[in-house]
Amino acid sequence: MEQLAHAAYGLYLVLILAGAWAAVRCRNLVRALLGLIMTLFGVAGMYFLMAAPFMALMQILIYVGAVSVLIFFAIMLTRTPGGEAGEEGGGARPAVRTVLALLSGLLPAAILAAVILTKAPQSLPLKPELPLGRLGQFLTGPYVLAFELISVVLLAAMAGAVVLGFERRKSA
Amino acid sequence: MSPLVLFHLAALLLLGFGLYGLTSRRSLVGMLISVELMLNGAGLALVASARLTPASDELGQLGTLLVMGLAAAEATLVLAMVLVAAKRWGTSDSDRLSALKG
Repeated sequence: MEQLAHAAYGLYLVLILAGAWAAVRCRNLVRALLGLIMTLFGVAGMYFLMAAPFMALMQILIYVGAVSVLIFFAIMLTRTPGGEAGEEGGGARPAVRTVLALLSGLLPAAILAAVILTKAPQSLPLKPELPLGRLGQFLTGPYVLAFELISVVLLAAMAGAVVLGFERRKSA
Repeated sequence: MSPLVLFHLAALLLLGFGLYGLTSRRSLVGMLISVELMLNGAGLALVASARLTPASDELGQLGTLLVMGLAAAEATLVLAMVLVAAKRWGTSDSDRLSALKG
């Protein structure tokens, strides 16, 4: 069982790695988006591995179902006048830019990894799966304010998006 | 390595890739994709901490759920902003969007 879990972890890690690589390196934004979707599925698999199936399904529903479709719309609606939709322009990336970006990505991750490797608390055996009812009780009980606030934030974001869209049409 | 460390390293991987993409990408949509990578790493770390330490399980999973909701709201707003920028300046290249007042 232990080895099976490690094998599944390795598979999901490979999915995440390959997807993230494609997401940050592909010149074509549609391919980058496909990489992001691959990563999202890998993370959902890790949620399954941690016996949190609700989180995994929400990950697939919200991220793969909604957010990536939004990003796809953004790619398709921002095509340059002469160019192909989704191509990142600007010619080859300067080497300095890549090196600096590598530094900015590696440095925080390396510092945090060092902290985790030295200071991580003992890992408990996996807790029993949380029944969905408990989550609902928490959401409507002690955390009802957060629940309501996130609805307000979503409403404000939707209203803001609609207002921005109207302004665009008026100025055109 | 314990499972907790393994899951947190995967989350860190996502953070590193996201930061790298955020600084190396030129188009606004590519930067949005990188931000989503980082948010996913945050969610993974939260759930791993909730499931594998004595911390409250409900709190961690609900926190991740709220992060997902915020990510959806953020993606909506960024989509609208990118569309406005692309309409007004004809490009979504972050290097060329340098005017403070259009």
